Amino acid sequence: MNAGKHWFGTLCSSLLLVTVLMLPFTAWAARSVHTAFGEVALPDTPKRVVTLHEGALDTALAVGITPLGAVTTRGGDGVARYIEAHLGEERPAIVGVVREINLEAVLALEPDLILAPPQLSEAQYRLLSRMAPTVVPLSEGLDPELWRDETRLYAQALGRGAEIEALLEQVDARAAEIAEDKAGDESPGAVVVRWMPQGPMVMSDQLFTAGLLRASGVAIHDAGLTSEGRPHSDTLSLENLARLEADWMFLATLNEEGREALEAARQSPAFVRLDVAARDRVVPVDGQLWTSASGPLAALAILDELDAALTP
Amino acid sequence: MDAITRSGAASARRLTLRLAGLMLLLVMACLASLMLGAGDVGPVRALAVLAGQGDAEARFVLGSLRLPRTLIGLVVGLSLGVAGALLQAVTRNPLAEPGLLGVSAGAAFAVALALLLGATATTLRVGVAQLGAMVGCLCVLGVARFSGAGNDPVRLVLAGAALTGLLLSLTSLLLLFDQRAADEIRFWIVGSLAGRRLEHLVAILPSLLLAGGLVIAVARPLAALALGERVASGLGHRPGLIRLLVIVVVALLVGAATATAGPIAFIGLVVPFAARALAGPDIRRTLWFCLPLGPLMVITADIVSRLLVAPSEMPLGVITALCGAPVLVAVVRARRMPSL
Repeated sequence: MNAGKHWFGTLCSSLLLVTVLMLPFTAWAARSVHTAFGEVALPDTPKRVVTLHEGALDTALAVGITPLGAVTTRGGDGVARYIEAHLGEERPAIVGVVREINLEAVLALEPDLILAPPQLSEAQYRLLSRMAPTVVPLSEGLDPELWRDETRLYAQALGRGAEIEALLEQVDARAAEIAEDKAGDESPGAVVVRWMPQGPMVMSDQLFTAGLLRASGVAIHDAGLTSEGRPHSDTLSLENLARLEADWMFLATLNEEGREALEAARQSPAFVRLDVAARDRVVPVDGQLWTSASGPLAALAILDELDAALTP
Repeated sequence: MDAITRSGAASARRLTLRLAGLMLLLVMACLASLMLGAGDVGPVRALAVLAGQGDAEARFVLGSLRLPRTLIGLVVGLSLGVAGALLQAVTRNPLAEPGLLGVSAGAAFAVALALLLGATATTLRVGVAQLGAMVGCLCVLGVARFSGAGNDPVRLVLAGAALTGLLLSLTSLLLLFDQRAADEIRFWIVGSLAGRRLEHLVAILPSLLLAGGLVIAVARPLAALALGERVASGLGHRPGLIRLLVIVVVALLVGAATATAGPIAFIGLVVPFAARALAGPDIRRTLWFCLPLGPLMVITADIVSRLLVAPSEMPLGVITALCGAPVLVAVVRARRMPSL
């Protein structure tokens, strides 16, 4: 009995000693970031990255890292179309969709860093964090500027904190440039609309895209139709289409065929009657980019499309 | 003898009165459908339009938005009500409903499949939906062993529920397969009258006229069939042919309705249920009562769907399901399942 206790005591004290000795070493060797699930220790130079969020994929590519695995864009079979332009020879393997991550596919990639979406559930986090350090940004509802913190966190986890600041500045500069170009004009109003066969949905003015448009001097609004914290309104009655009158209307579908959405909308007599349609100020846009993506590459792509639309 | 004739005449007069009352209600519902909506054009502005004046916006909302959906509601309600009554009569089952028997789901699945394969023409859709409705109907009746005697109502509904579940999940699968068609296909899971145009209605008119002609031809033999297979044969009718014709009519009607408004649940159950309560079990009378009752229910439900969540709208299929489900439960819970 006595001997057992003695043995246990020795083990404890030696463990304690080892821990105390290791402490300064760990702090020096490993990087760590603050995530929604607390501090996460990270490998020095992540080599095998898996991104489970469109914004994380965007950030990784922006700082020059091609992930091994990624999830599909919403409403698509692969990565978003604007992402394609930034992919070289190597392409990330698809490991499911945001809401249904294929855990076995993630495991098979043997990741050393997982960049996960803000809304990741705790159960999923537990499983993923056993495969590799998993970085989950804090989510605080809808906020047009939240993506900056997200993308910074992902970039820091990748060890490219400096690069991301430069990119964010580039985004700001581009937005300011667009705002300047059309200085003199009254700041034009705009709505972002998703067209459905039964009627349109208005996208919230608190989304990623809305923040960019506002920074570019476009007064984006949601016609007071979306409720707090919801990304878009319910399907609006065609009788109330006139509420969407604005200087500009950006029309998207769930998927990339904005032009087809415009065709569909033109079939509706209520849409053709709109002043914004008569003035031909309805711009078909890529829904994958405008209503689903986030990150610095997406921001620059949206600003390019916006610039092209606003420039006569 | 004299007394019987007199009481027969009295009951006929009563039925005519009831029918006239329903027609009046339907006219009122149509007017309400023109006057009420999710937008700012209220009854006062709408009345001005009906009186031949009114502002441009009110005229547009009435003429281009509310009038088409009212007309489509009329036709869809008519089709679904009559289809439900026929299906219940031929299966001798008060639970037979196009929505429950996989007919609507078959039509919706066929349309979704056609969309996936690249179809866009409105006319093609109607034929495809009708074919799907027919296949769905035959599948269920085949599974439930379609025979006059010893036909268990609940078995039929179970077979229908299984097929509906299968077809709905297949439709969802298509939705996953091709996200490009997703917005279009989503419409085929819950029906709605919003955003439908008069061209959609024009496309289904020929098949509705054909179905109407067939209904007139088949009503009398179907009533004879209700007296029993032998009686019908003795009167010179051919039961097998009658059943086949009825299924064709049901497929034509439900396919046309689904192609126009998507699957709208429970109308085919509730309408014949109410019609029988008002007119008694004779299919020839029940059908007359289905004519105003079907549109009345669809149009009323559509008005509710516009007003409930204004300025948005709720899909019509949701409203009819909410109202129809209690009726289904009531029929099932009735101590003695009424056999037709």
